[in-house]
Amino acid sequence: MKRTATGIIGVVIFAWTALPVAAADLTAEEIVERLESNQVQETNHATATMVVRDRFGERTSTMESWSKGRDVTLIEFTSPAERGQKVLRTENEIYLFYPDAAELIRLQGAALRESMLGSDISYEDMTGGKTLLETYRVELLGEETIHGHRCYKVGFEARRRNAAYPRQTVWIDTELFVARRSEQYALSGRLLKEIEMDRIETIGGYTIARRMIISDALKRNSSTEFTLDDVQFDIQVDDDLFSLEELSW
Amino acid sequence: MNARAGVALAWKNLFRHGRRTIITASALAFGLLVYIMADSMLRGIEVDTERNLILYETGAAQVLAEGYLEERDLRPLRYAIETPEEIESALEESGIKAVARTTFSGELIVFQDPFPEDGSVQVTGYGIDPSDDGDVYRLEETITKGRFLEPGEDGAVLGGWLAEDIGADVGYPITIVTRTRGGFFQTLELDVVGIADTPNPIINRYAVFVPIDTADFYLQMEGAVTEIAVAGKLRGVDRALTAQMEQELASFPGVDVVGWDRLAMDYVAIAQTKNSGSSTILFFVFVIAAVGVSNTVLMSILERRREIGMMRAMGLYDGEIRRLLLLEAAGIGVIGAGIGIALGAVTNYFLVTNGIDYSFWLRDMDAGYRITGVLRGVWNGDTFASAFAAGVIITVITAMMPVRRALRTTIVESLRTD
Repeated sequence: MKRTATGIIGVVIFAWTALPVAAADLTAEEIVERLESNQVQETNHATATMVVRDRFGERTSTMESWSKGRDVTLIEFTSPAERGQKVLRTENEIYLFYPDAAELIRLQGAALRESMLGSDISYEDMTGGKTLLETYRVELLGEETIHGHRCYKVGFEARRRNAAYPRQTVWIDTELFVARRSEQYALSGRLLKEIEMDRIETIGGYTIARRMIISDALKRNSSTEFTLDDVQFDIQVDDDLFSLEELSW
Repeated sequence: MNARAGVALAWKNLFRHGRRTIITASALAFGLLVYIMADSMLRGIEVDTERNLILYETGAAQVLAEGYLEERDLRPLRYAIETPEEIESALEESGIKAVARTTFSGELIVFQDPFPEDGSVQVTGYGIDPSDDGDVYRLEETITKGRFLEPGEDGAVLGGWLAEDIGADVGYPITIVTRTRGGFFQTLELDVVGIADTPNPIINRYAVFVPIDTADFYLQMEGAVTEIAVAGKLRGVDRALTAQMEQELASFPGVDVVGWDRLAMDYVAIAQTKNSGSSTILFFVFVIAAVGVSNTVLMSILERRREIGMMRAMGLYDGEIRRLLLLEAAGIGVIGAGIGIALGAVTNYFLVTNGIDYSFWLRDMDAGYRITGVLRGVWNGDTFASAFAAGVIITVITAMMPVRRALRTTIVESLRTD
């Protein structure tokens, strides 16, 4: 699925930001545009922790990421078990580098649907591409309070069949224009994933959700918790960092 | 000594030294018995695997959309055959039985009550046409619990080992999370209607069968299928069949015809490795037999050095004695090889009819072979013929050196031997 299609997942990985904006009588499209306009910085650098919980127990991975604009991101895992593994997302492709095998793999086709390190995040969740409004028709379903914060409840319905989720519901903070909750559904209408965002803070002029918990609605006790430990925005990032040559170093 | 007298004397000597003859022939017979058994089982594994691949997994050959084969492990629905009925008709008009299937990957999810516990497992889903799947596959015959699928129902038949692993029974509800042809996440809510214990471990361990029209609806295939499988011979790749299919389908662009071997590369790779390994095993069996035979032949000739000295003292030429001893060795070879292939035939009869049950071992093994339990041997006339010929030749060759050595010894030294 395109990054914009899953929206929330990609956004938090690559720094979910929002600026406080006064809003009144906005349409669903305007709300989503504001949401999207707050998601992308010139550059960012972050360290993060991902905790995957399932019936086998709990696994923790740490990572460092750099991104530039909307479509170029590099993630390098720093936890002992995965140290040195890298994921490079360019405008149209995803590459993996495994240091033990000294091998560079380009992910394509159905392989993009594989889970990243056994988490609830797939590689296609990270792919760039079209905006949310290009991928989904949106509809304002009302306003609800999520964890004490007033939110717009926005329904997303896929415009085309190559999106991963044909239908999503996203609760967007009416003041901060940051998503606080998302639900993703299968074509059959069955709820597949629930995503909760919290620890919303303003850092370097941007308002971001520092923690996201993705729960698999079909599996009890299965979730992925993603926490931004440290993040910097609009810093100097060398273009060479996102090259294939650099990836295999 | 003329040839007839030589043969008569050699024949008489075989029985005069009866115990030696029996010991030497027994060593040879045992070696050939092991060789015949090993060859029979190794070939049997191949025959069973190919049959179980063709009858339960791949058919003899398949028609696939261009591009599908390269990504087949990921079961991509985007490479689909848009007009399966036309292709099936074209094949059936030329006498080739063909059935369409839609294969997809998914995650099977079950919940406690009625299942013993919550769980999920990766499975391969097969959308099959219950009305004509039997033209190519034998799935229906392997239903051991419940019933076969009916068109259009939200029902599933599970592989036997899969059902056992997740604690499934007929009537239990299951959920499969998969992707539609376009890429949407989709869930199939199904009831288990039957359990199939097939002789193919891949099917037993990973397969979930659903009616093809049910798969078509949930996966948004809109009449397209991922493959059309055809019936053919059950041993070896039917090149004539694939050539005929290619000819019949020349007017259908964008499809490939592939034999079962290209659909089961895991097995083909391991079979190639095994063939070189099998040759090595059979070579060592032969070497062991040859060492045993040569040892006893050597001993029997060295024990007769005094007798050989006596024959030379009485005026027999070395060539006549050599011929006599080699004839005796050949006689031992004939007796040993005869006993060996007779015992091999009796043993092989049981291997072919009853086999050996390795199910306790094969249940947890995923080695590429499509066999689940009883390993059966096969009859192979070439093996019996070559074992007999090799047994005689080995005995004669191994006798040559000690005979030569015995004839090099002087008559006096030979007669002094105790």
